[in-house]
Amino acid sequence: MAETPSHGRQVAGSLIAAVLLVILTVALVTAKIGPGLDSSELREREERQEERLEQREERQEERRDD
Amino acid sequence: MEDLVDSLTRGNVSQVKTVLASVVAVLSAYQVFLMTIGYGKVNVPFLKAKAASFTHRATGDVILVVTLLVAFMCLVYFEVGDGIEYARDGEQMRAMIHVVAGSLLVGAIVLKVIVVRWWHRMGRYLPMLGIMVFVLFMVTWFTSAGNYVIGG
Repeated sequence: MAETPSHGRQVAGSLIAAVLLVILTVALVTAKIGPGLDSSELREREERQEERLEQREERQEERRDD
Repeated sequence: MEDLVDSLTRGNVSQVKTVLASVVAVLSAYQVFLMTIGYGKVNVPFLKAKAASFTHRATGDVILVVTLLVAFMCLVYFEVGDGIEYARDGEQMRAMIHVVAGSLLVGAIVLKVIVVRWWHRMGRYLPMLGIMVFVLFMVTWFTSAGNYVIGG
């Protein structure tokens, strides 16, 4: 029967597994939302956000003028 | 603050949030796996309950910091009301669910940390609290980052 690794090795192994999950997730998500349709959708959303910020600034300026 | 978030992400606020939210969503699933070992529900030869619990705690600290960072970016950059109001047509409900689940998630995580660190009398509710945090993570992710990643 295989021997159980020491506590330190178990902790290190499980932490390394967590790090690998993080790396894999970052790689997959970045590949998915990279250049392409998804990226342009996100860009559209940011453009709407910028528009909103501009509108807010305009409103603030109008209030100041009043 | 908006400028700070914008410059930190080099203008890619949504993309950075999507990646970070996906990372914590995956790690939250890993946390559930670790605690099934921690509570002895699952036995694997290469990982014992004590080590699994230790890693659960360490990973949880990382998840907490990243989640609070994402929540901060969300609130500062998109704001609660505006996030719903300026969602695309037909997506207001999704944005609304995201806001509610995200807010509950932050509350549930804070409560879990309090129970783990100081309020030991409530320790018996930790498994339930943990499942609640995981479910809220999933709902929050699916109604935002997941919508972009999977929905396309």
